[in-house]
Amino acid sequence: MPRFPLLFLLPCLAAVLPAAAVDFSHEVVPILKTHCAECHMGDKKKGGFSMNTREDLMEGSENGKVLIEGKGAESLLIQLITSADPDEQMPPKGARLTAAEVQTLTAWVDAGVPWTAGFAFKKGAYEPPLKPRRPVLPAATAGRENPVDRILDAHLAKQSRPVPAPLSDNAFFRRVHLDLVGLLPSPEQLTAFLADSSPGKRQQAIALLLNTPQPYAEHWLTFWNDLLRNDYAGTGYIDGGRQQISAWLYQALLENKPYDQFVRELVAPVEGSAGFGKGIKWRGQVSAGQLVPVQFAQSMGQTFLGINLKCASCHDSFIDRWKLDEAYGLAAVFSAEPLEIHRCDKPTGRQARAAWLFPELGEIDASQPPAERLKQLAALMTHPENGRFTRTIVNRLWHRLMGHGIVHPVDAMQSEPWSSDLLDFLATDLADHQYDLKRTLALICSSKAYQSVSEVLKEDADRNYTYAGPRSKRLTAEQFTDAIWQITGTAPRKFDAPVKRAGAAPGPEQALTAKWIWSGDQKTKAAASGETVSFRTRFHLAALPQTASAVLTCDNAFTLWLNQKEIARSDQWEKPVAVDLLDALRTGENEIVIVGTNGGQGPNLAGLWMQGQLRFADGSLNSLNSDPSWLWNSAVPNPNGLFTPDPGDWKPAVEVNGAAWQRINDSLQGLLMENANGGGPMVRASLMKSDFLMRALGRPNREQIVSMRPNDLTTLEAMDLNNGQILTTRLEAGARAILQKQAGAGSAALVSWLYAFAYSRTPSPAELALATEALGSPPTSAGLQDLLWALLVQPEFQMVR
Amino acid sequence: MNPLPLDSTQPRRDFLKKLAAATTAAMMSRGGQLIASEAVVQPKATADAVIILWMAGGMAAPETFDPKRYQPYEKGAPMANVLSTFPAIDTNVDGIKICQGLERIAQVMDRATLIRSCVQPDLGSILHSRHQYHWHTGYVPPQTVAAPHLGAWMAKVLGPRNPVMPAFINIGQRLEGHGESEELKAFTTGGFFGSEFGPMNLPVPDEAAQSVRPPKGMDAGRFENRSALFRKLLDQNPQREIISDFQRESMLRSLENAHRLLSSKERAAFDISLEAKESQEAYGAGQFGQGCLLARRLVENGARFVEVTTEYIPFVHWDTHADGHATVERLHQEVDRPIAQLIRDLESRGLLDRTLVVVASEFSRDAMIEGVPNSTAGDQATVKGDTLESPKHYGLHRHFTGGTNVLMFGGGMKRGHLYGATAEERPLVAIKDPVSIPDLHATIFTAMGISPKTAFDIEGRPFYATIDGTGRAVRDLFA
Repeated sequence: MPRFPLLFLLPCLAAVLPAAAVDFSHEVVPILKTHCAECHMGDKKKGGFSMNTREDLMEGSENGKVLIEGKGAESLLIQLITSADPDEQMPPKGARLTAAEVQTLTAWVDAGVPWTAGFAFKKGAYEPPLKPRRPVLPAATAGRENPVDRILDAHLAKQSRPVPAPLSDNAFFRRVHLDLVGLLPSPEQLTAFLADSSPGKRQQAIALLLNTPQPYAEHWLTFWNDLLRNDYAGTGYIDGGRQQISAWLYQALLENKPYDQFVRELVAPVEGSAGFGKGIKWRGQVSAGQLVPVQFAQSMGQTFLGINLKCASCHDSFIDRWKLDEAYGLAAVFSAEPLEIHRCDKPTGRQARAAWLFPELGEIDASQPPAERLKQLAALMTHPENGRFTRTIVNRLWHRLMGHGIVHPVDAMQSEPWSSDLLDFLATDLADHQYDLKRTLALICSSKAYQSVSEVLKEDADRNYTYAGPRSKRLTAEQFTDAIWQITGTAPRKFDAPVKRAGAAPGPEQALTAKWIWSGDQKTKAAASGETVSFRTRFHLAALPQTASAVLTCDNAFTLWLNQKEIARSDQWEKPVAVDLLDALRTGENEIVIVGTNGGQGPNLAGLWMQGQLRFADGSLNSLNSDPSWLWNSAVPNPNGLFTPDPGDWKPAVEVNGAAWQRINDSLQGLLMENANGGGPMVRASLMKSDFLMRALGRPNREQIVSMRPNDLTTLEAMDLNNGQILTTRLEAGARAILQKQAGAGSAALVSWLYAFAYSRTPSPAELALATEALGSPPTSAGLQDLLWALLVQPEFQMVR
Repeated sequence: MNPLPLDSTQPRRDFLKKLAAATTAAMMSRGGQLIASEAVVQPKATADAVIILWMAGGMAAPETFDPKRYQPYEKGAPMANVLSTFPAIDTNVDGIKICQGLERIAQVMDRATLIRSCVQPDLGSILHSRHQYHWHTGYVPPQTVAAPHLGAWMAKVLGPRNPVMPAFINIGQRLEGHGESEELKAFTTGGFFGSEFGPMNLPVPDEAAQSVRPPKGMDAGRFENRSALFRKLLDQNPQREIISDFQRESMLRSLENAHRLLSSKERAAFDISLEAKESQEAYGAGQFGQGCLLARRLVENGARFVEVTTEYIPFVHWDTHADGHATVERLHQEVDRPIAQLIRDLESRGLLDRTLVVVASEFSRDAMIEGVPNSTAGDQATVKGDTLESPKHYGLHRHFTGGTNVLMFGGGMKRGHLYGATAEERPLVAIKDPVSIPDLHATIFTAMGISPKTAFDIEGRPFYATIDGTGRAVRDLFA
């Protein structure tokens, strides 16, 4: 109902009575449309001022109220349309309002701004619904039962567009591995998958990948590190202005913490998760928009809700509906101190009051202490009726798997989805299944939509998106690095992330099974001070292991050679040494020589202890432990660990026991565990600090939240691929390692293996011929290195298609 | 008369014209869209290339281009007496004196515009990395988005001068292995423009040739064979259905561009060993001198933006927390010869008119004051005391933001010109014509034909070449 119905009954008086009846529809609307629409109607809201609805109009601009009901002359709008100052007059250009028009508008304001109920100049910007919505699923067609397919098939049918063609087993297998665990499937896995004729094999592959916690966690760690701006080195860490959440995050991914709980712990921190909310505290003064509590508001908004509060933390946003006070309200939830609202870095004199963005769901009690407020915020953020919370994360997952968000870009959750049914379905499905993110991933990967060939993109593909199947993604820097490490077996042994890697618990492999040995029974006669003894063991290897490591110590000093190569020496028996034996091992006969020296004043207990482990490709283990089967000799070898001539006269070592040695058991155990981990699953790039190559391939500096990495390879990145030192060194070492392991396989077999690993397919006859020729026969290290390069920079490798 | 952009009195909302229409969904695509606005008039360029000579760590103005009362070393002399530890010398411009030790630069002063009144904001705590970030991006960190380096702006707005030459080249700064390397990386970047516009880093000038050469241990023949193998395999790729794919095409284009530079004639520009011996010697043997020589070769071959740094390493080079006099004496030797030679070389090749050379630093230094007078910044001098007790006390050991030197050559600037002044006695703050970083940047942008109001739509909001488009080119500096 109009607010002043009486006046509308008397339109004829309008001309004669000031401040009297004004015909809103016929008099006011045309004036406003003519002079104001360009900047203040529809999705235009210059100066933060929209005239779309009466509410918008009365809300005013970033400068405050524009209209005062009943007081035309005092209203800013009337003042500006009559102002003579060209800097402030409205409209800023074009024809000015006539005196009669000014009079009409003044009268309209004087009359209390009457408005036709329900009238709007233009629909305002899209406002996403807050509450979750359960769309009715369309009927399945052609047996495509997955809800994602039911929605998308109907979506395509409505637009009379075809369903994308199905994906081959090879391409599916590569895609799903890279998408879910970030790794290439090995040629063996691929062969087994292709040979499997059971109809449920894709489903099984998805389940298997999602049910192996460690590879899953170490792949998604990259995604979350970007989104939670966590890293292992970077601005702020050194002086305590920033805290890692690595250990907490890793564990949460490993145990697939339900997403609502995951977020609650990031909002209201538990041990190890506070770093995200605390942001980066810079030394010295920072602008008001970057104070830690304001960073908190921005981070919470962006990461969990896809709401950009960066504009609104300085002034009312010009591009969406968020207000300065709302950004500060969220900041005040976090802030332990009273927080003064600053507008464009200038104090406003007003204190922020803890509040959150959607009071419809409940309020924050500003009188509570910060920890309690954060708990309330955590509950509101993950409130079952907060549909924006679940929509934001399922959209991010959809984007990672399908290459384009349902809302895109994924941080612009204020904009309209191309299929609200799809978005709403995935969101409610997540909530219905205990916020299990793996469930959403499985649901998407199981769909025929995911298992379709990628869309072939045109240059304008980012404008006016229409769904036409998945889009291919570029390998992330971490995926690219991992893939090279996988193929060449050159991953580092140690990693930077301060996390407890899965499998680190001491298992039977880490029991102390080696024996302390020396040259004679020390119960009857202690070793002389300075006594030097050589120990020797020999063993045969039919094949090289994948890893080979040992932990050793000698009371008091030792030097270790493997196949005449010095591996380690130490004269601090209380600090046992971990060594990598892999590089010096060879197929056939191997020899370990250790020269041990006793110390001390006068005769005392002496002993050597070494526990080693070789792990083979088939998973089998060989131990390499000091025990009485080792031989000893009083002769010492030359500096190369070689006896010239061999003294003959080797005698079996004797097991010895010293109570004093028990006290280093913990450190022996610790080193064995580290070795076991190093010998366990490959160290992943996500666990490493960034390096030049990863940076060149798009791993971001994580000072800001990153939700989408660039999909393009740039020229500078291509330069690094061409001649960067890291890649070159890696391929050199990789070529050597592959040749060592695949020696005797023959060039053609090696090419097929490479194609299977890198591309998950067999080479065409033409490719096989080219690549085999490049390798040389027998394959050379340089040939292999160059072929590896030529294969790894191909778009087919660098893309997840 | 140069058509400098008019100092607009239009309020900021005018630049949002185009933006208001843009939906948030259009944001972030490929590093931002240029915001067109009639209020932005791109000025006519007076320079085509920029060389920044970066005196990393805080170059003390009273020890270089703004000599004050000379205090020789005297044991027991009050520290408060120390303004300059080098006597002033004449230059070839009447009325401009600089510090002893810079004799060669003194002889090219007639080609220079010397600004003595640059000022930096008081950030409450002196951190080189924050001030360096500010100087290089125009924005005080932290920022909610990754601000691009000045060079990235040039690369994004102007592109390369020569299509094979990377537009933004950064010489002399190692980005790994010291205490503040992470902070350096934060601004040595294309930022939100993306890595296409980021720097090509050449940390060691002698090894620059390596960065455009086949990898170590690979001869040219093998390198070409490898590329040929790549292309042959590409041609045989059975995935016909994706041949027209745009992403694939753009990836191949980048690989092709990279290969083109690696096999171009311009590649020789990166190899300073090809330079005649006399000319190498003319630049001095130091890393910075070699960097200047490399910069000259790159600009000759079409580089757009080159920065050469004396290299920032905490407490080293210009970061004189102790032993300032002796350190600066060495630095004079390191920079005097190459800077003068670079100017003479550019001039003799006819390049100086269109190449803007800027010698700058994140701030100045003072013997007594940390920051500016009354700043809350904590004292960071490592040798303290009221009197000179040993030579290591002698020098300007505190960070000073109240009056900093910038020296500009060529590129449309006046010649033999002095701008601004600082007080003759402590505090040595700018007392005439202060120049802020936004205004200094506006001057550089304007010389390059970029309005300081140029803005890009980043995450739905405008991001300007100078903060909020407020930088004003200093007209009096232009010839």
